[in-house]
Amino acid sequence: MTRLLAEWGSGDQTALNKMMPLVYGELHRIARRAWNQHPHTNTLQPTALINEAYLRLANAQNAQFQDRCHFFAVASKAMRQILVNHARGRLSGKRGRGVANISLDDVEPAVHQEAAEIVALHDALEALHAVDPRKSMVVEMRYFGGLSIEETAGAMGVSVPTVNRDWRLARSWLIREMNRESS
Amino acid sequence: MNPPAPWEEIERLYHEALELPVGERNTLLARAGPALREEVESLLDADCKAGLLAVPPTHVVADLLDGQPGGLAPGQRVADYEVESLISIGGMGEVYLARDRQGRPVALKILRPRFTVSAQAVDRFETEARAASALCHPNIVAVYESGRSPAGLFIAMEWVDGSTFRAIMDAGQVETAQAMDWGAQAARGLSAAHTAGILHRDMKPENLMLRKDGVVKILDFGLARDGGEAGPPPSSRGGSGTISGTLSGTLLYMPPEILRGETAASASDVFSLGAVLYELTAGQHPFAGETRLDVFEAIECRPLAAIGSLRNGVPREVDRLILRMLDRRPGGRPSAREVCDVLGGVSGPKKA
Repeated sequence: MTRLLAEWGSGDQTALNKMMPLVYGELHRIARRAWNQHPHTNTLQPTALINEAYLRLANAQNAQFQDRCHFFAVASKAMRQILVNHARGRLSGKRGRGVANISLDDVEPAVHQEAAEIVALHDALEALHAVDPRKSMVVEMRYFGGLSIEETAGAMGVSVPTVNRDWRLARSWLIREMNRESS
Repeated sequence: MNPPAPWEEIERLYHEALELPVGERNTLLARAGPALREEVESLLDADCKAGLLAVPPTHVVADLLDGQPGGLAPGQRVADYEVESLISIGGMGEVYLARDRQGRPVALKILRPRFTVSAQAVDRFETEARAASALCHPNIVAVYESGRSPAGLFIAMEWVDGSTFRAIMDAGQVETAQAMDWGAQAARGLSAAHTAGILHRDMKPENLMLRKDGVVKILDFGLARDGGEAGPPPSSRGGSGTISGTLSGTLLYMPPEILRGETAASASDVFSLGAVLYELTAGQHPFAGETRLDVFEAIECRPLAAIGSLRNGVPREVDRLILRMLDRRPGGRPSAREVCDVLGGVSGPKKA
């Protein structure tokens, strides 16, 4: 297994924790600008944001991010944290100043439903991590990072068929887990 | 209680089973112990429902980037306009009363960032801006400007101080003479759009407004298309629940050829307007039904009662005209121009 997985598996989060704020901040900044310039679907997808964040941070010759694969892994983790935090806030209805008596939640079930799925998925992923850390990382990169099968394989240093198999089993496992939780 | 199956074995058997046709999996699984078998079966079962994780979480990403979830604040600027108050919220965006630089009122329609992840919503918004700005007619709401701002995509439109036909009908019975005059005005606007080669495709009481001075305005060209263009309306291309919600709201005014998936033509708009006029004059909807299926059947084949049998004082030629507008064969319907002429002849000289 790769060095990265070993680091994560052993619970050594120091390196990751040092990089997270930087990646987190950059993702936010890029995402806002992406919206202002090109308010279209593809620029809002995690993978587009992560790719641009990488280019920027790598161009800044930040030694920590010379390894593109490593960056993808960190960025996916950052993206997961960003989205889960936001989804939780959205579900508890705590954000925004709001207009009196009008709840936008009534007209945006898609956002609400997706937020609930993200939170449930996050919890199920924690459980999967305990069973099989590599599979939970594959899902993190594929879903939260928006990476393709090939990019995920590259980032994790495993073969494409392995990612394919991991992805399929992890997906079934997570769906089963989430159905159990909700029933 | 059986001992739990080792993860490695679950994994191996799961992938082995996936490679077999569904019908042959049982033979393979039968050889495994009960705990292992149950585990793998439940995973294979979940594999069939793998809709989850299939699409990226774009709605939440967009929502995250949208700094103001509760709507725009009074005083906030969008391009050259200053927001005054929120008028309505729909699945496709928000409408505000705003002021331009000269302090004149405008209706500002905003598609917030969170909605722009829906390609249909963006398409619909841009279509409306394009179609309506190509039309200049007193009975069609005027579009001044459209563009993009940090608050979202926006369309600045003529401010119409009045009520929708829906609100008017909800408030009570409409005088026949009034209904004729309003119908003539709506038909005049529609005829202008058709002459310009543009179909509205979503005529319904919610999209017709009566200004306080008695002028009728057609709103919402969000589903408009150039006349004759093939293909189903954007709302039937599938997608989010919001879109199908829009479809269901409009079902009562959909002509049979659209329900059958045929291409819309100007006669389709005439049918929808006919349903509105029937409702306006008869006081009840021509295709009302308990369920969607009832409505489908009514539009397809239920015999229509003449308006005269439901209400007194409706001129016979108006009754005939509206029933012709609701002819199930598009070729049997009058043009918007003809509707306007007949109703105009009945209701006397009219406002521009």
